[in-house]
Amino acid sequence: MSTSACKLKVRNLAKNFTLHTLGGVRVHGFSGINFSLPKGQLLALSGPSGAGKSSILKTIFRSYLASSGSALFCRNDGSEVDLATCSESRILDLRRREIGFVTQFLKILPRVSALDTVARPLVEIGVEEAEAKARAEQMLRRLGIRPELFALSPLTFSGGEQQRVNIARGIIAPKELLLLDEPTASLDAKSSNTVLDMLAELKQQGIAMIAIFHDQNKIDRIADICVPVVREQ
Amino acid sequence: MLLELEAVSKIFGASCGACLDLTGEPGAICPDCGSVVAVNRVNLKVAEGEVLGVVGESGSGKSTLLQLIYQDQPVTAGRIFFNGITNQEGKRQDILTLPATHKARLRNRDMSMIYQNPHRGLNFNFSAGGNIAEKILDTNERSYDTIRSRALHFFTKIEMPPTRLDDYPDAFSGGQQQRIQIAKALSSSPRLLLLDEPTTGLDVSVQARILDLIKALQREMGFAMVVVSHDLGVINHLTDLTLVMKSGCLVEYGLTDQILEDPQHPYTQLLVSSKL
Amino acid sequence: MIRPSEVLFGFLDEDAKKEIRRALLKAVALPGYIVPFASREMPIARGWGTGGLQVSLSIITEKDTLKVIDQGCDGSVNAVNIRDFISSVTGVPETEDTTKASIIQTRHRVPEHQLTEGQIIVYQVPYPEVLDSVEPDTARQKEMHANNDYAKLWVLLYEDTSQFGDSRMASGYPVAVNDHYVMDPSPIPKFDIAKLNNSQALHLFGAGREKRIYAIPPYTKVAPLTFNDRPFQVEQFPGKACERCGCRDVFLDEVHLDDGVHYFCSDTFHCDTVLNTRGEGHAA
Repeated sequence: MSTSACKLKVRNLAKNFTLHTLGGVRVHGFSGINFSLPKGQLLALSGPSGAGKSSILKTIFRSYLASSGSALFCRNDGSEVDLATCSESRILDLRRREIGFVTQFLKILPRVSALDTVARPLVEIGVEEAEAKARAEQMLRRLGIRPELFALSPLTFSGGEQQRVNIARGIIAPKELLLLDEPTASLDAKSSNTVLDMLAELKQQGIAMIAIFHDQNKIDRIADICVPVVREQ
Repeated sequence: MLLELEAVSKIFGASCGACLDLTGEPGAICPDCGSVVAVNRVNLKVAEGEVLGVVGESGSGKSTLLQLIYQDQPVTAGRIFFNGITNQEGKRQDILTLPATHKARLRNRDMSMIYQNPHRGLNFNFSAGGNIAEKILDTNERSYDTIRSRALHFFTKIEMPPTRLDDYPDAFSGGQQQRIQIAKALSSSPRLLLLDEPTTGLDVSVQARILDLIKALQREMGFAMVVVSHDLGVINHLTDLTLVMKSGCLVEYGLTDQILEDPQHPYTQLLVSSKL
Repeated sequence: MIRPSEVLFGFLDEDAKKEIRRALLKAVALPGYIVPFASREMPIARGWGTGGLQVSLSIITEKDTLKVIDQGCDGSVNAVNIRDFISSVTGVPETEDTTKASIIQTRHRVPEHQLTEGQIIVYQVPYPEVLDSVEPDTARQKEMHANNDYAKLWVLLYEDTSQFGDSRMASGYPVAVNDHYVMDPSPIPKFDIAKLNNSQALHLFGAGREKRIYAIPPYTKVAPLTFNDRPFQVEQFPGKACERCGCRDVFLDEVHLDDGVHYFCSDTFHCDTVLNTRGEGHAA
């Protein structure tokens, strides 16, 4: 299969929220989102805060239920799964192997060391524990995390360090489609560069990515496709 | 599918026959005959290795639902399918219609329950090891050495020192008693683990360690779980899928992150917005 | 002294006997299963063998020969009284000879002589329900028997093995009958358990105070609950022999006297038999 094969096709995706606790008020999320993402490419969502960029990622990941439209995920066997409507079990299965989400905020167990946190996804796909830890260590070093921090819980880290642990965990065993919500926010220029280098390597491996960046320079440097998201009034 | 419930109901009281239709989300007490509909035509599915959370306020029927699955309570109506059990014609068979010995075998071997109150899940007249041994004996194991080493294996898995294996439950703290329940429950290598408010009433540090332990063991052993809790933190930490109950009815079902981040039903929204 | 002509044969009225015989038939049909019965007032106190007595009186006929033992002894006060009573209300001959008796009523022992076809042994039982020690709820007990669910009894065995190396149950050791019902064989020593297995005789158990009857028919498999890697251990008397007859392969009574501990056969008839045989041998 060529690297230009499509990984995700989003058609007329829209999301509204109905807030019953506030008397049934309807809140607009986003609407009319259309794009196709080939393998090995990075698609950037750009637009002002509140335009619904994060909501789009969450809807594709199914943390949000789409109000209408579809998000067709193309599997390697040629079949397509509509992430907006398929069964929950199917989503869980895809999340285990094929679709990953790197959130803006660290959501991890406070009682697990940074090294184990990053090694975990490798162990889950069957990599030997020692090998997984060695690779996790390598990745943390590359991201500039000091070795004396490896054995500590990331909750004790600075914001930038936490973000790097979070990214390391999200990409160490990369899934075929990665959703990245501001992966370089709160990182200094040097770390940002490293992360962008890593994302470029993932593209080489054929990983398809959707990312949110606030900085147009980064979009220009790494993105193959840019989808503007506008806030509707 | 490991577990499948079809229109499972439980009515406490002499039903007038129309209770299920006369009750629902607004209230579980039948206006006609006063019977309580604890579980009202609930459908659900749990696949191998899946972790399902059940949330809802006190009295919503979530614990009763668990007891119906574990056959601690007789089901009033509905069907339950489990573990691909079929009848002679090869059609899947409702486990509620199985002979008593077969039902007991399911309960003893293929399912396990962890109760909120350790007094319900443990026999305080037996040692910790004896409690674990009971579940292993239920699988018809009759070699002492095998039973002893399995009991010890699961006792150390719950991070207890081997020297305490022959101590009695009342010599352990509440959190340790919960751990012993876990060791007992897992010692038959069940396909399905049912947990009824497993950490309610424990202080937070103990609660966190027990939840970590359950999660690690689930990853390692791969059993499916149904976790009943009123604590959304517990549900978020442990489960992949969540169902929301109100007045005996299932009002919403979805991925746990979706239920917590994008709840649809008014009651779920209220529940999520009430989180501290 | 009661004369046979003054009372009904067998003391009990015919309706009472019929009721007990029905329970016995059911018990024989379901080996090891506990059957309730009415349990009449007897002229001895409950707890002194009224269950065994009622069973004996219900099955006895003019053609029977009766032996009664208490802890293996024909001459103990209770054995003598029960034997005299049955004999006085039936007129059947008494014997101490295990091989000649057709009905043997016993408390806490099975005779050393092997029982044969046609013999019936009647046990006096204090506590018939083997599950009482692990499950107080009688409804649950019935379910457990029905489901062949004896895990809790096995846990007792597990606990004893873990803490003491072997079962602490000295008497009344639980046995599985015909691979199904587990029952209390009455407080006989472990030494006697093997005599129940595939026995040629009919074994009837009566608990008067608890109003229960159960049975082991002839040629029925009876096996003590034992882990398959822990052999069943019976009482042993290493280096000890009966001081009267010199036997070693029998169950010995430990008798504490002022000058120390002495050992004698528990089964007095067996002891006498050994002595008599030896005496004849000398004479010959």
